[in-house]
Amino acid sequence: MHAENLAQRSDAKLVYVVDTKPEAARALAEPLGARQADAAQAFSDPNIDAVLIASSTGSHADLSIAAARAGKAIFCEKPVDLTLPKVDLCIKEVKKARVPMFVGFNRRFDPSFRALKERLDAGAIGKVEQVIITNRDPGLPELRFLATSGGLFLDFTIHDFDMARWLLGEEPVEVFARGAVLVDPRVKSEAGDIDTAMVLLRTASGRLCEIANSRRAVYGYDQRIEVLGAKGMLRAGNLAPTTVERFGAEGACADNPWPNFQTRYAAAYAAELSSFIRSVERGTRPEVGPQDSRQVLVLAEAALKSSRSGKPVKVRPRVRPLY
Amino acid sequence: MLEIAQFGAGRIGQIHASNIAALKDARLRYVVDVNAEAAHKLAARHGAKAASEREALADREIGAVLIASSTDTHARLAIAAARAGKAIFCEKPIDLSLAKVDSCLREVEKAGVPMFVGFNRRFDPSFAALKRRLQAGEIGALEQVVITSRDPAPPPLAYVKVSGGMFRDMTIHDFDMARWLLGEEPVEVFAWGGSLVDRKIAAAGDIDSAMLVLRTACDRMCHINNSRRAAYGYDQRIEVFGAKGMLRAENRGETTVEHFSARGTVSDRPLDFFLERYAEAYRAEMSAFVSALHERTAMPVAARDGRQALVLAEAALQSLRKKQPVKLRP
Repeated sequence: MHAENLAQRSDAKLVYVVDTKPEAARALAEPLGARQADAAQAFSDPNIDAVLIASSTGSHADLSIAAARAGKAIFCEKPVDLTLPKVDLCIKEVKKARVPMFVGFNRRFDPSFRALKERLDAGAIGKVEQVIITNRDPGLPELRFLATSGGLFLDFTIHDFDMARWLLGEEPVEVFARGAVLVDPRVKSEAGDIDTAMVLLRTASGRLCEIANSRRAVYGYDQRIEVLGAKGMLRAGNLAPTTVERFGAEGACADNPWPNFQTRYAAAYAAELSSFIRSVERGTRPEVGPQDSRQVLVLAEAALKSSRSGKPVKVRPRVRPLY
Repeated sequence: MLEIAQFGAGRIGQIHASNIAALKDARLRYVVDVNAEAAHKLAARHGAKAASEREALADREIGAVLIASSTDTHARLAIAAARAGKAIFCEKPIDLSLAKVDSCLREVEKAGVPMFVGFNRRFDPSFAALKRRLQAGEIGALEQVVITSRDPAPPPLAYVKVSGGMFRDMTIHDFDMARWLLGEEPVEVFAWGGSLVDRKIAAAGDIDSAMLVLRTACDRMCHINNSRRAAYGYDQRIEVFGAKGMLRAENRGETTVEHFSARGTVSDRPLDFFLERYAEAYRAEMSAFVSALHERTAMPVAARDGRQALVLAEAALQSLRKKQPVKLRP
């Protein structure tokens, strides 16, 4: 998806594709006029300005560090890593190299969520009081994937933690999470994970956020946001492929929401890449950085701890600008 | 014909009296109120008589008592009605103290009279249809319930002070909806709340904003969000999510007219306030109460439901104070 978005741009060019499977790399690179290469080759090419990391999560931090050392700007898919020490190490190296690093929290770039945030910032509903985030996947991923995903909170809710931070306008200071296995018992027995959750976040001034998660919504990819403020409410509902509604004797029927993240967030993926390229070209700070990724990881770990202990968990926000 | 004696001629009492008047198989016979003039006025409107408590309860023709007086009188009147052998329709809450509710329930049980608690939202046509379709299995096994319940504006401070607090006064409705929809009793309550709307509410010892998570023994979860002030109106929504889909009941405006202009599309605000939003529900609950008495079937909302909602409210209050989840015995 990123490669295709890059190929459509006039201000950026895909030169190399690196993958542990060279055939896969070639198959992606060649139709887009790029070449398959190994990491060393790509990093050592002085004509390369930026590196886009969309490999498996376990390789994100190491590749980011290598890219930083080679002086390249970095676009890294979320999350930077599933462990805090590794994220911190990566932040340290990126700081040292003084290269820009962008982390792909794509939902911030969804046109509807972005418009909601802009109107919130413009004061359309006054001061924020409550944020409600609904995030339900269309279907259970493979159990094999779940077993290595880091778990629901680190793999899935992580997007909601980012949205929560972004919309609350203050850092959450406490997390309460309840998780369950309601979709498929194998999620627990074979992957040691959960598939359903409700999470509450609280900020220092008492703003509240609720997140509802499920790994399976039969009606599609359920992605909604609601923000209540002193002067009103902003809401962004699901998007569907078409707006056609059918009215029959049995009732009215509209399209289901888009079926998956690729379709639902197509515009967001293109827009986040634009944002990254613009910030590299203009030398401005990337809109979402590794510090953001670090903070959502702190929240995800707190949620995991809370769901296991059954108690709310306090977190200390520690978000420093990178430069 | 069911003859009814009504206690309380205030706002909600007037609604109930009109709803009784619309029924073919029930008749309002007495209106009792500490404000004699209000009692007379309401009674006259519906061909009833203003009476004293004793007079109303002593009349053997009276089959049922409707309690719509101030909250602090509910339990005492319910006990008096039970002892007089009358069926009881009691506005929520039965009382703000669990001990008092329990002693009331004991008396009602001893007298063997039916008692209905006015959790009107169960009778809202949309919520009732949602529940029916949930029970019919349209979305399979239930997993999550999300209840949005926000008042248009905070009540007067004088009311806040005697209300028993937001959880007992306002969230109590949501606790009842949660129990009703979850299909099993919550075993844990976690609540966060505070004052974001008006500092004076905090000064009065109450909160005006809250978020709660309830959990049942099978790990079904329910989220409730409350605010005492929604600038756009009375926000009343329900969403239930299950293995085979989702059912949702949205807000309703007074009309369905939408205005499309250069600045955007504008539709009606949600109906504001509860007397308007739940007008049909108040009608339907009265009809359900009267039908259950005529047909001698179980009360659709029983006295125990009134008690359980209060148990959840007290657990929420405890959770708020302790900042920890509170476990409940199922």
